[in-house]
Formats: sequence, C-alpha cells, structure tokens
Amino acid sequence: MSMFAQENLPALIAALLVALLGAPLSVFVVLKRLAFIGQGVSHAAFGGVGVAMVLGVAGATLASDLLQMGIVLGFSICAALVIAALGRTQKGRIDTAIGIVLSASMALGFVLFTIAESRHDHDEHGHAHGAHADEHHVIEEILFGNILDAQWSSVWVTMLGTALILLTLWWNRHRIIFWSFDEPVCSTYGVRSNATGNLLLVLLAIAVVLSMQVVGVILAAAVLVLPGAAALHLSSRLKSVMLWSIGIGLMGTIVGFAIGTQTSWPIGPSIVLMQAGAYLLALGTNTGLRRLRSA
Amino acid sequence: MTESQHQPELPAVEIEGVSYSYPPGGVGEPGVEALRDISMRVEPHSRLGILGPNGGGKSTLIQIVLGVLEPTAGRVRVFGMKPAQARREGLIGYLPQRIGADLDWPLSVEQVIAMPRRTRLRPWLSLGSEDHDAIDRAMQLLEVEDLRDRRIGSLSGGQLQRVMIARAISTTPRLLVLDEPMLGVDISGQQRFASLIDAVSTELGLTTIVVTHDMRALVAVADRVACLSRTLHFHDAPEGLTPAVLAQVFAHDIEPILGELHIDAHTASECDDPTHEHTHTHDCDHDHGGAS
Repeated sequence: MSMFAQENLPALIAALLVALLGAPLSVFVVLKRLAFIGQGVSHAAFGGVGVAMVLGVAGATLASDLLQMGIVLGFSICAALVIAALGRTQKGRIDTAIGIVLSASMALGFVLFTIAESRHDHDEHGHAHGAHADEHHVIEEILFGNILDAQWSSVWVTMLGTALILLTLWWNRHRIIFWSFDEPVCSTYGVRSNATGNLLLVLLAIAVVLSMQVVGVILAAAVLVLPGAAALHLSSRLKSVMLWSIGIGLMGTIVGFAIGTQTSWPIGPSIVLMQAGAYLLALGTNTGLRRLRSA
Repeated sequence: MTESQHQPELPAVEIEGVSYSYPPGGVGEPGVEALRDISMRVEPHSRLGILGPNGGGKSTLIQIVLGVLEPTAGRVRVFGMKPAQARREGLIGYLPQRIGADLDWPLSVEQVIAMPRRTRLRPWLSLGSEDHDAIDRAMQLLEVEDLRDRRIGSLSGGQLQRVMIARAISTTPRLLVLDEPMLGVDISGQQRFASLIDAVSTELGLTTIVVTHDMRALVAVADRVACLSRTLHFHDAPEGLTPAVLAQVFAHDIEPILGELHIDAHTASECDDPTHEHTHTHDCDHDHGGAS
C-alpha cells in the first residue's frame, strides 16, 4: 500500500504537521532542558484520556473529538504549569515534581480506563470478551499512537493547532529566546520571566497533545526532542539550527511513514526511530568533523 | 549641603527608609531581615560604590533598585519613577553577579548584545539603524567588536563579562548597576577592566552603582562609597574609609580584603563627621554607641 494512497492522506498530513510544529519547539526543549517536562506532560495527557473515556466522550464526530482533545489538553496544560510552579518553589526539585505528576497521571489513566471498561461490560453483557480486547487495543493506540485511523476532522484540528503554535512562537520569539538563554536577568530587561516560561510550557503541552495522535503518549515527547537535539550538532547558528531541525523532523516523518505503510512496522515508532537515527548521524558527523579538525 | 535650593535634575536613585525582610523559608522559619531603614540618594552622573560583607544585603538592595523586589517598607525612585517603570523604559542597565546565561546557545556575541533591543521590537519588525548604532557603540566601548561573530560559549571569563556589560548598555540606559563586576575577571585584567568601566560611564554620562566586596574594584570605579551591612553608612571618597569602619563592616574578615591597598589611618572618630549624609544604627565610635 502506497503511503500516498487516498486513505493514508489524512494520516500523512497530520504526521507532517506534527513534525513541522515539533521541530522548532524541540530546539527550545533541548536548550532549556525541558525534555523531561515534555515526558511528564505527555503522560499527564494519558490521565486526561482516561477522564474523557469515563465521561463517555469518544472521538466519533468532530464535536466529540474536540471535546476529548479539550479535556486532554486541559490536563496537559495543568500538568505543565503545576510542574513549573513546583520547580520554581522548590529549586532543583523539578525532577521529583515530574516523577510524581507523571506516575500519578498514568495510574489515574489506567484506573479510569478500567472503570470505563467495566461500565461497558455492564452495558453489553454478552460481549464481554470482545469489549476487553477492544479496550486493550484502545489503550495501546493511546500509548503508541495509531495515525492511520486519522480522519480529516482531526487533520483540521491539527492544522489549526500547528498554525496557532507556530504563529505564537514566532510572535514571541525574541522574548522566548531571551528567557531561554538568560532567565535570571531577562526580567530586568522587561521580559516577564514567569509569563514567558508558562507560555512556552503551554505551547509545549498543546504540541504534546497534537503529537500524541501520531506517535502516542509514550513517544510524544520524543518528537519534541530529537529533531532539535540532532540539529544542534549540525550548526552553531540559531537560524540554521531551526532549519536543520525542521528538515530532520520532516524527513524522519516521511521515511518513518513510508516504512510503516510498506512493512508491518507501526508508523509512530518508525517515525521516532528514523529521527533517533538522524540524531545518531548528526552526533557522528559532529564528532567526526571535530576529530578531523583537531588532527 | 545647600544644593537642594536649586535642583535642576532629579536624583538618579532616591531611597527613603527602605527595609526588606525575606519571607520565611520553611515551616516555622522566621523571615530574614536583609535591610533595615536604608536611605540614600544617588546624584546623576555620580559613581557610587557599595561595599559590604557577603550576606550584608548588597544584592537585595540592587534587586530593589531594579524593581525586582518590592521593599517591605519605604520608598524607591529611579529618575523619579518607580523602579519597575524605569526598567521598562530601558533606563537601567544591569550586570548580574553571576552570569546565569546558558552558554550552550547557538548565538553570536552580536546576537546576545542585540537581545534587549530585539525584545522591544514589534514582532514583524527588525532592528533599525538607530538600534544598530547603539549596539555598535556598546561593542566599541567595551572593546568587543572583534568578537562580534564569535559564539557566546567560546569566550573567556573577562571577554564574556565585557560582552554582558555591552548588552547592559545597549539599551542606552542612564543608570548602570554592576553587581560584583570583577568576580569573573582575573587579577591581571582587573585594572584594565576598571578603567573600561570608568571610560564607559564618562562617555555615556552614566550614573553608576558598583556593588562589591572587593576594595580594589571599588577604588578604581567609585567616587563615593556606601558601606552596607544591613544598615547603611556613607563616605565621600574611598580614601575616607578607615580601618575602623571597615572592621565594623566586615566584622572579622578584614585582612584578606584590604590586600595591597593603602588606607590612611584616620581616627575612628572621623566616622562621625557631620558631613556624612546619613546617620545610622551601626556605630563606629564607641563613645556614641547605641545612639541610634
């Protein structure tokens, strides 16, 4: 089946959009060391999915899709801001805060899934086994993503989200760069430090939720780290780092998507593997060039 | 002191009865008093050195002048404005004690110096010729023009310090606050560094406040000295500092700080010279002990 087949088109577009929004953000995530926060936020999103399930919001129509995404988004943004606030009040304890938020959200998510599942069993007595299998499939999709199920409705939502994130990032680029580069003094130059930090975290939370549908909860944070991490090995100019990052994000997605549609590999993990490969390649190139120069 | 009869210019900094206590840290821990009833006035174009022991409240006072901390009591004005407003208008340049910038960033020296001006731009605009002039001038004054394309992480301590001062003056401020500016500079470069700060202040007509625990730094750049150890004590010239006053300020660790500096042995009673602008709780003459 070709990756450009009609039925794969929404999935491909959604995946490319996620790569496009993840790439510039990943540069900030790497430089400001927010990778672990990204992990915390994506796992918090799992708790949010659980809440949506218990409330009986399933993504069949655009409205319920949006509602589910809203709930998950709310969860993720709260998690990001709580982690940031805890990190601010207890300096250096941010890893503890992330650890707590991450595991509590996962636990909550699983408990709520089970509750939703048992309700389902009660509703349809005769089909308990089938329902079980269904629920496990759903959990797996949430954890690892199932992009091929993407509908045009979710593509529009992703497009809107991507435009919003990129525009906000561009609009505030100078103060976000200043804050990321020199947080301790940026406020003396009129950059509101906490507000800017929170803005970046909210953008990160939205990006995580949008990435989830492509690569799932477990790997969502990866696409918000790998392209930037790779690009930083390839250039020491911010502009070209950004361009490299976008290029690597898009290429990794296209190759991963192609592999996923041609073979039995799952698409989300394939994309992450391709980007990880690009990271190793960049690291190798950088180290090789340095050796060559010093030799 | 009759100059108050004709007052053409607002004082650069005016502090009246400022106290500050840090909020309690943990459960049941009391707040720590960092400053008590500080009053001072810094005239435009003057150079004030603030000397004091570690933990004496120097950085706290700076944070208040910058408007980052709100005093628990008292009033602060910078060029007649609230500090936060003066800061927003770009009137204050500031060099922090410890450079907390992330030097892994893929940024050139010029990009770092241009950063404060960039954050003031409307998102769709780029730097204009006025901005470039100010940035070039800052680089020229701090002698970092040759470094403009260097990556920020590749500089030596002294170079980085100069770049950060260039960034501080890139917004053409009227007040320059330097917190321990000599900390990152090696001994051999300190004299040059001090004369650089001196030249910059003169050239731009800046009011300068230098905070330090290092006497040598102070003598080179300040024409007036305030000793801060929770309370404030003023002197008109660095040479007016007597060993007795220093001993008072630094309590125990005076020897290593004096270094090779020559200090005239004034009698301790000169500390109560009536020309001093501020009476204070910290008594350097035992005859007047407890006068506050």
